[in-house]
Amino acid sequence: MAEGTRIGPTCHGMGSRQDPVSSSGSCNFPEYELPELNTRAFYVGAFGELWRGRLRGEGDLSLKEPQASALPGSQGVAEWGQEDAAVARDLGCSLEAAAELRAVCGLDKLKCLEAGEDPEVIPEDTDLVTLGVRKRLLEQREETITIDRVCRQETFAYEMESHAIGKKPENPADMVEEGELILSVNILYPVIFHKHKEHKPYQTMLVLGSQKLTELRDSICCVSDLQIGGEFSNTPDQAPEHISKGDCEHVVVITDIRLVHRDDCLDRTLYPLLIKKHWLWTRKCFVCKMYTARWVTNNDSFAPEDPCFFCDVCFRMLHYDSEGNKLGEFLAYPYVDPGTFN
Amino acid sequence: MRNLEKNMFTKEALALAWQYFLPPYTFQIRVGALYLLYGLYNTQLCQPKQKIRVALKDWDEVLKFQQDLINAQHFDAAYIFRKLRLDKAFHFTAMPKLLSYRMKKKIQRAEVTEEFKDPNDRVMKLITSDVLEEMLNVHDHYQNMKHIISGDKSNPDKALSLIKDDFFDNIKNIVLEHQQWHKDRKNPSLKSKVKDGEEKREGNSQESERCERAESLARIKSKAFSVVVQASKSRRHRQVKLDSSDSDSASGQGQIKATRKKRNKETLKSAGRKMSSKNRDNMQNVHKEDKSLRLSMPVITEEEEDNESFSETEFTAPKRKRKSRTKNLV
Repeated sequence: MAEGTRIGPTCHGMGSRQDPVSSSGSCNFPEYELPELNTRAFYVGAFGELWRGRLRGEGDLSLKEPQASALPGSQGVAEWGQEDAAVARDLGCSLEAAAELRAVCGLDKLKCLEAGEDPEVIPEDTDLVTLGVRKRLLEQREETITIDRVCRQETFAYEMESHAIGKKPENPADMVEEGELILSVNILYPVIFHKHKEHKPYQTMLVLGSQKLTELRDSICCVSDLQIGGEFSNTPDQAPEHISKGDCEHVVVITDIRLVHRDDCLDRTLYPLLIKKHWLWTRKCFVCKMYTARWVTNNDSFAPEDPCFFCDVCFRMLHYDSEGNKLGEFLAYPYVDPGTFN
Repeated sequence: MRNLEKNMFTKEALALAWQYFLPPYTFQIRVGALYLLYGLYNTQLCQPKQKIRVALKDWDEVLKFQQDLINAQHFDAAYIFRKLRLDKAFHFTAMPKLLSYRMKKKIQRAEVTEEFKDPNDRVMKLITSDVLEEMLNVHDHYQNMKHIISGDKSNPDKALSLIKDDFFDNIKNIVLEHQQWHKDRKNPSLKSKVKDGEEKREGNSQESERCERAESLARIKSKAFSVVVQASKSRRHRQVKLDSSDSDSASGQGQIKATRKKRNKETLKSAGRKMSSKNRDNMQNVHKEDKSLRLSMPVITEEEEDNESFSETEFTAPKRKRKSRTKNLV
């Protein structure tokens, strides 16, 4: 098993509710076995219990929307009084002190810009190191006429990360429960390219603690599900689009476990939820360089390299005559590019 | 800033600030970290806000810290922590950082800013204020017992004189000195200004280290040569005279004068050297207020030391005592 937390062997689900194991050897407080790399094995369900036991339901675990009165700027004097009383009670200070705290530690005290000031403009007289660095960067961009603009891949990654945030289910029964655990799971691609030696590409999924391993497995979308076996140079029209094939091994790494938060996706039906995918460049046809490759040939007398990739149109144009007769010698296999799932 | 960048930056910033919120950092640093977290969390531009990750193993420490804040009546810090919690600024996690598989052999160790930590002081750990209090109790009890069982109630029998009577005071003074040394060594520029308005001798902390070192060395040397030892009777004709051609402007004659009114004699290793009765009084006062950087441990002399007793022994008192000829308890 690769690095990451390992689930206890007797769990039926990802985090079944077990009694915390107190006297046996395994600990339930997650701790590092190899610092920053992996932890000792622990029971996920018991870990959840330990957290829930330490937190206040209403305060910490609740998934309810923040009340309108909690939003800054919307409170009236009466609400301030209530809040001061709560502060005084919690901190053991006087009401006057609580009111003063509200004034002195308020969020408005964190702003350093005056009204109307533009944060993009860097003041001349600043001695903040970070602003100095930014200024130099901006000047350099001006000089070299560099435009800082987000690229497709970054937009894609951001979308993946945030598309389900805060989603609520239509059916209230599908609501994720308070105190539920969310596991972040990295599923490594089986594709082996040389450039991936140091840094294997992976998908990241969020799984609920109460879901089953089978659900996770089913949600893994793997390109090897779609690989096609068989040589079809003589009968190119009979090549299927794809064939489902089982039996693929994936390395799964659990990178994070935490309690669910009100800002998370709260619709159970969307889990396991894909939040990160490695962007793969699709292999393009050798001829037109435009379309994604759908054929790969070996021992091809027409091809300058072996193996060689072609889109469907170019493949047929090059290897067959107008009547569809095979020209020359070659072996041809249908090809499904891993980047098909981008 | 681009959206993904904002997320990554905020996560990194919060994780970095969080480190300083936990032990082994000093109380001050931890409060500073709390303020930093409060500021970063509330002024971030991410929508929805990035959360502060807290691992299960650290939560108890966090709660303990919150209780300390309340007990010490640091209401502002307690208030902002309470606010963060109410705003649901936390993610309650298994581990502080996401685990990731790395091929790299070298794992970057998190740098810990040493000066923010409480110094790892074995002496202080061994001889804590509890231990000293216990020692004092036992010592007093022991002395009392000796008095009780002796024939002459006011003076215990000579036969019972098995320890140095001032043993406890000595240990306490040594420990205090050590503490002071540590403080001065750690914070050369943070010495508190004395109230009678004298200037700092060292200027500001931006003086180069080399300069300070040179000065300290010069000072030590001048002190070494400025303590005049009375020659024994058989060698009276060879009395040492103090030559005042010392080029170090910092040294005075005979004594190192701080601009303070205290007497401030330094003593050196006394092995084999007889000290005059005048010098003996001040042997234990190795003052370091006028030094910015101490290069070696203060020297503890072997001679009988003063029996000055300090009625109030504060180990963490922020104030200085203004008695003449007393040590500074800082």
